[in-house]
Amino acid sequence: MTTKDLVLIALFAAIVVMLGLLPPITLAFIPVPITAQSMGVMLAGCIIGAKRGALAYALFVVLVAAGLPVLAGGHGGLSVLMGPTAGYIFGWIPGTYVAGLVAERMVREGQPEARQYIGFFLASVIGGIGVVYGIGIPWLCAVTGTPFGAALYGNLAFIPGDLVKAVIATLAARAVLAGYPMLHSRA
Amino acid sequence: MLKSLYVDGHTFLHRASAGAKMAALALCGIALYFTHSTIILASATVLAGTIYLRVGLDLREAYARLKPVLFTIGILALVNWWVLGFGIAAMQLLRIIAIVLLAAAITATTRIAEFMALIEWLLGPLDRRGLVRASDISLALGLVLRFVPDIFAHYEGLKDAHVARGIPFRPARAIGPMIILVLKDADSIAEAIDARGIRGL
Amino acid sequence: MDIRFSDCSVKFKSHVALHPFSLDISERRVGIIGLNGSGKTTFAKLINGLVKPSTGHVTVNGHDTVAEAKAVLTLAGFIFQNPQQQLIMPIVSEDIAFGLKAHGFSPAEVASRTEAALARLGISALGPRRVHELSGGEVQLAAIASVVATGPEILIFDEPVNQLDLRNRARVLAAIESLPESAIVISHDLPLIEGFDRVLVFHEGRIAFDGAPGPAIAHYREIAAC
Repeated sequence: MTTKDLVLIALFAAIVVMLGLLPPITLAFIPVPITAQSMGVMLAGCIIGAKRGALAYALFVVLVAAGLPVLAGGHGGLSVLMGPTAGYIFGWIPGTYVAGLVAERMVREGQPEARQYIGFFLASVIGGIGVVYGIGIPWLCAVTGTPFGAALYGNLAFIPGDLVKAVIATLAARAVLAGYPMLHSRA
Repeated sequence: MLKSLYVDGHTFLHRASAGAKMAALALCGIALYFTHSTIILASATVLAGTIYLRVGLDLREAYARLKPVLFTIGILALVNWWVLGFGIAAMQLLRIIAIVLLAAAITATTRIAEFMALIEWLLGPLDRRGLVRASDISLALGLVLRFVPDIFAHYEGLKDAHVARGIPFRPARAIGPMIILVLKDADSIAEAIDARGIRGL
Repeated sequence: MDIRFSDCSVKFKSHVALHPFSLDISERRVGIIGLNGSGKTTFAKLINGLVKPSTGHVTVNGHDTVAEAKAVLTLAGFIFQNPQQQLIMPIVSEDIAFGLKAHGFSPAEVASRTEAALARLGISALGPRRVHELSGGEVQLAAIASVVATGPEILIFDEPVNQLDLRNRARVLAAIESLPESAIVISHDLPLIEGFDRVLVFHEGRIAFDGAPGPAIAHYREIAAC
């Protein structure tokens, strides 16, 4: 791995930590406040790509496991990783990878803006929502014994917020692609 | 800016190796998963709670650390009670609280450096095959801790710039520019690392 | 110290950074001046191997910078313009120690060399401090400490005081002057190089002047005035 890639991965993991330090945003039509940190999955995949993005999140999870309070709200440690929401956290890693894969396939510099937006949005939704819930919900059921149906129903409340995050991430990813493209760069 | 969750002390857990503690946690998790006796689970929970409360945290801090996890566990327990009945819900509740308490106790008694040494050791086989550089993980950790305050400063700087120009600051719109500011430094930082021969001498 | 450039040139995709030249450097204090984009930094990076020559080769104390890159990195330390980007650990002493460990020093040597490096730069008190709490000058001194700790014989400085205020500049310049190692310094700060043994003036990818500081600076002023 080149040193530059290693630095990009570490810097993005630091960005994810920073996103956790931002206060949650409450929007009128959404039942749960939005924390910026899970948006990092969409951002990492769409901005630095599948492999580096996933490694950035893997590094982030190592930080949590090591006992650093880097999860939004100042939480961390092994207790979170053994609890009901651990699946989402571990799911961030493949989620970022898939978001990155979709972004790398669908988005190119020089494409019309609309196509780039669509590509990033799809990447964000498939990776940042689909994959993350796809791992988070079954994990929750396995760990707490909650029936799948109930768990699925309970998670619905978060979807509107996640869609808003996908929109924000799409706009940000496109801005970065225009200003300092890294998605397709190999150092 | 980021204070570790480690708490200084000399308990049995403090003195145990990181590897042993992780292995024990994994084994306990598996054992609890296959235990179906409410009495055993209740005893395990009490034992785990006792261990956790004796690592050196005051009661308020000990509770604050677990509040969100316990909150989620509590809600799910209520759902389970409604859907699966009291008996099963109680068992699940005890099971997960026991493992979470034990995990929290291990986090509080394991230094970051110890944990990172364990990770480096686990990466050993991959390192020997030339797939990864095990020492990169400590470098990466250091970089994250080093630059989080700088990134926060970038964010605050963007905020101030908006205020100074009388433009309303919308955090959502600042994310793109902030990421550019941060990642632009990657080249120079990487160059300085290479110039010091830190990766591969 | 003996640095030799044999028929070296550096070409990037879009332009020629350095036209072919040959040169020997063995002086203790060498200054490098020139307008922005004249090739100074590319030249400096040829010495420690950060830039590989497109033609010819560079040897440092007999070691080729391409074939024996690692040996050269041990011999030549490089201090960059922006001190903030050179320190990679949150705490100063940790940063110095990390570099020493990577060079293979034992834990005891790491501890003693870290202390020694901090003391040499007069910043022993900064050892346990967090990098982001320090002033620009303190960060640059810490960066210099992290580079000298591993014992390079040659130090290359790329505009070391460019981003510092007057007081911090004075501190760092004093530190540079007191260093026993050989130093090659790129500087816009002309007073810094006035007492040097030799000064090279770069212009548009070529060495426009090579000699004593006085005439070199005069030549540079002429170029800058056009």
